[in-house]
Amino acid sequence: MNIRSLKFLDNKFKQYLFLLGIVFFVNNIDSAEGGPCKDYGDCDEFKYSLNDMASLQRGASTFLNYCYGCHSLQYSRWGRVATDLQIPEEIFFENLVFDKTIKPGDLMIGSMSKEKSAEWFGVAPPDLTLISRVRGDDWIYSYLRAYYEDSSKQYGVNNLVYPGTAMPNVLAALQGSQKLVCKDVPVIAKNGGEKRDDYGNTITKQKCGYLEVDEGSGELSKEQFDKLIYDLTNFLVYVGEPAKATRERMGWYVIFYFLIFTALSALLYREYHKDYYK
Amino acid sequence: MSEMVGRLFNWVNDRLPVANTFERHLSKHPVPSKVNFWYLFGALASVVLIIQIVSGIWLIMPYSNTEEEAFASIEYIMRDVDYGWVIRYMHTTGASMFFAVVYLHMFRGLLYGSYQKPKELVWIFGCTIYLAMMAEGFLGYVLPYGQMSYWGAQVIISLFGAIPYIGESLELWIRGDYYISGITVSRFFALHVVALPLVLIALVFLHLVALHEVGAGNPEGVDIEEHLDEDGVPLDSVPFFPYKVLNALVGIGVFMTVFAIIMFFFPEGGGYFIEMANFEEANPLVTPEHIAPVWYYSPYYAMLRAVPDKLGGLIVMGSAVAILFVVPWLDKSKVASIRYKGIYSKVALAMFGISFITLGYLGTVGVTEVRKTMSVICTIIYFAFFLLMPIYTKYEKTLEVPKRL
Amino acid sequence: MQEKDNTRRKVLIGLTSAVGLSGIPFAATPFIAAWNPSAKAKAAGASVKLDVSKMQYGQQIQVAWRKQPVFIIRHTQESLQNIDAALPKLADPNSDQIEEPYKGMNPTRSKSSEYTVIAGVCTHLGCSPKYHPEVEPKPWDASWAGGFFCPCHGSMFDMVGRVYKGVPAPTNLPVPPHFFKGSILTIGEDGGTA
Repeated sequence: MNIRSLKFLDNKFKQYLFLLGIVFFVNNIDSAEGGPCKDYGDCDEFKYSLNDMASLQRGASTFLNYCYGCHSLQYSRWGRVATDLQIPEEIFFENLVFDKTIKPGDLMIGSMSKEKSAEWFGVAPPDLTLISRVRGDDWIYSYLRAYYEDSSKQYGVNNLVYPGTAMPNVLAALQGSQKLVCKDVPVIAKNGGEKRDDYGNTITKQKCGYLEVDEGSGELSKEQFDKLIYDLTNFLVYVGEPAKATRERMGWYVIFYFLIFTALSALLYREYHKDYYK
Repeated sequence: MSEMVGRLFNWVNDRLPVANTFERHLSKHPVPSKVNFWYLFGALASVVLIIQIVSGIWLIMPYSNTEEEAFASIEYIMRDVDYGWVIRYMHTTGASMFFAVVYLHMFRGLLYGSYQKPKELVWIFGCTIYLAMMAEGFLGYVLPYGQMSYWGAQVIISLFGAIPYIGESLELWIRGDYYISGITVSRFFALHVVALPLVLIALVFLHLVALHEVGAGNPEGVDIEEHLDEDGVPLDSVPFFPYKVLNALVGIGVFMTVFAIIMFFFPEGGGYFIEMANFEEANPLVTPEHIAPVWYYSPYYAMLRAVPDKLGGLIVMGSAVAILFVVPWLDKSKVASIRYKGIYSKVALAMFGISFITLGYLGTVGVTEVRKTMSVICTIIYFAFFLLMPIYTKYEKTLEVPKRL
Repeated sequence: MQEKDNTRRKVLIGLTSAVGLSGIPFAATPFIAAWNPSAKAKAAGASVKLDVSKMQYGQQIQVAWRKQPVFIIRHTQESLQNIDAALPKLADPNSDQIEEPYKGMNPTRSKSSEYTVIAGVCTHLGCSPKYHPEVEPKPWDASWAGGFFCPCHGSMFDMVGRVYKGVPAPTNLPVPPHFFKGSILTIGEDGGTA
């Protein structure tokens, strides 16, 4: 083997591309194992919108009304939530802060004693300040919508995303009763198309493990409930990192600055470069 | 006014070699005129070092190094301290960038034979800096006391337990306790904040002095000292100021743009710079599903897991770093730069690069049979690159190196 | 040709330096700002609110604000009428020598005609003066008309915290910023209008 046969790698860029290609090839030797959303399959995609104050406010309201009874947000401060979510302090404290001795600077340390709750639930409900950073926002969005009735479990519910969870389905009244159902789904042939029988009808087979809500059994429709969970997850993303929106906004300016700086210094360098490059 | 400043300067200069040192090592220092972007990473490494020191000092101020408060103090920095999040992300991004830059810097060394005589000592100081950096990074990661801090420390300290006879006592001695606790955190704090930074700064100083003593290399592997002008200055050189300063400035601009993109938009690096599990406080009773070190240690982690025996794995891992130190004596080639080396060196280096990156990937994912085999193969390639070097560099056909740049 | 090159160089050097240097204050901002009081400090140093309507006449209570004791006294009618009983013995009866936030508003030195709000820190060396409202002869003053006596070095203050002549303490007990909203007293903030 001589050098000439590797001529297609004559410049550095092509060399790196080649290297990258090899790396990708090697990486695809094995596929991903069981993902974070477990029996649910792939987590539903979630896109946060931290500039949507209305969404964050609704999410905060849902959290404080349904979740704060058991889950603390021990690194977050009350006053900061009001300020960041653009809720006037008086309105916030009047409507969403149920313990009137709480001051704006206080941490949201929760209302349930850790020892008692460990006794009642088997494990203390975890603090949720950083949950969106530990589990991921996709995971939370999927988890809160993946409860289904399961009479074999302690609270009569189980969760596809977190099988065997010790948490009851707190939002059941809003969502309605969700069950695991079996559906007739089309069989997919090797070429990706639907398999059909001799008469042109699609062949189906029974597949189980689908989540379905009994229509009308909950206060909210599916779309409304999904929106509620979206807002709640959005709020948890905010609480996980309150500086996130600021950080992303600032980032554009910083990058812009460094691009300008790089361009100018490149021009300056080239100008001096002429001195010794004839 | 300027006359007074001049007089003040002269008074100092008569007693401290300010002007001379400045000219010899900075402004008039001769640097090869034709280098490429690979030669920027050294300067970038020192920029990152400064960023880490400054951001690190500011992090110490609000940080609490006790078991009870460490994790909470990080959230305190992120939320309650004005712009604390900027400083925190600066430090985490800097850590990953430090390793990225240093890996590229080391690769430059392999590419252009920067370790060859008379720069062997520069290389050795460099390898020691790398070793110190790995320790520094590990110690720093324990300080937030998240799940990965705790369990990563658990794994690494238990490696010491593999050493025969003294292993278990060594583990206990390093931890200072029967299990990892606040005692471990506070001593790691002292090492990370004071001891190793001092060591790093000293080593960087020695690294640069050794380099300046013999002069920097170039991608052609030409010895620029062979052709001097009437003043004894190499013909193929340019003074550091302004030419190399301006060159470095461009490199710094590009680097800071990348740094800012990561810091402001992807500080967690998809879980590779700050692992997700570390946003949960350390819990000795619950082991995370995947214990993986941060990305820059993953090649060695893959090697460790490729070897079935605990002590064997430790030895392989240690040797993988140790073998770097002796490269100047493994490379028997008459030429320095890959540009003029033979086909064997080129293939060997390419395979080394691929295997190292693959090992890096394998270290971040779970173990399967196929991946284990890949790890073993790549580890063998990694060592073959070094161990076969005396042979293939000696017997391959090399090209003739030009006399001038 | 050289002339043109030189100008181009100068312009580029100027521009690059300008852009580079202009970034420095921005880069410095996080480090300087990080030294400001954090949210934790602000929370701990936040104003204290309390309902003073349940206080008895003549009672003194103590609350903590920024790690300092603050005395609140609800004066009896008698005490208010005799507020200047010790006037000739006072060193600075009009609080001219100190920063008096609500000077001339009320004889009580506070924003209310009924309550006095003062920092309970002796202006000598920082001990906490004791409340002695009884108008009767005392070991430290045969014609004591009520007030504060500091046990550490014997400084004396009248019922609204004004210092006596000839005692170690140099100045009157300071009045912290405060305001009343109905019966809720907030210590630590001014509250805007009088």
